[in-house]
Amino acid sequence: MKKTVVLFIIGALVLITTGFWIFSGSSPVEPPELVSLVVIVLVVAFALFVGYKRLTSVKKGEPAEDEMSKKIMQKTSSLSYYISLYWWLAIMYFSDKPNFETHSIIGAGILGMAVIFAVCWLVFNFRGVRNE
Amino acid sequence: MNNRIREFRARHNLTQDDLAKKVNVRRETIVFLEKNKYNPSLKLAYEIAKVFEVKIEEIFYFD
Repeated sequence: MKKTVVLFIIGALVLITTGFWIFSGSSPVEPPELVSLVVIVLVVAFALFVGYKRLTSVKKGEPAEDEMSKKIMQKTSSLSYYISLYWWLAIMYFSDKPNFETHSIIGAGILGMAVIFAVCWLVFNFRGVRNE
Repeated sequence: MNNRIREFRARHNLTQDDLAKKVNVRRETIVFLEKNKYNPSLKLAYEIAKVFEVKIEEIFYFD
């Protein structure tokens, strides 16, 4: 239950800071910023979905986490870490281009990692984990 | 590894929800087990066998 609350708080904080970032600037939102915004919203939506699932499980009298969900999380973490290494390698390659700013590159790296994690989680949730 | 959870569940007139609560897992886990998308730990296999009052190998088997 505590983890679920933390998940909702972090989601809300990310949305609030993104809102500040988008609406505090005087210039209109550029397309690359819009892409980042959409990705952030998708990642937060994913986190809220996971939190909602945990909450409904608790309400039904089931555990928020069980051995299968822990196993899926383990598998997701290891695979997404592995893929993220390649993601950062690709980013390092493209960071040589002069029109990319450092904060944009780091932002793309972090957002990419979040997206990779979400995709891996979805894949394992559909495919299952047989460990054979 | 395959299993006969669905068959035993029907025999004992249990829903997936009921079985999940009895062995303290989420319903999703029972769904995944029945679809052979997840291999349970020895502890969970034992708990399930205990609910159906049979030996583990009567429920879980290899092809």
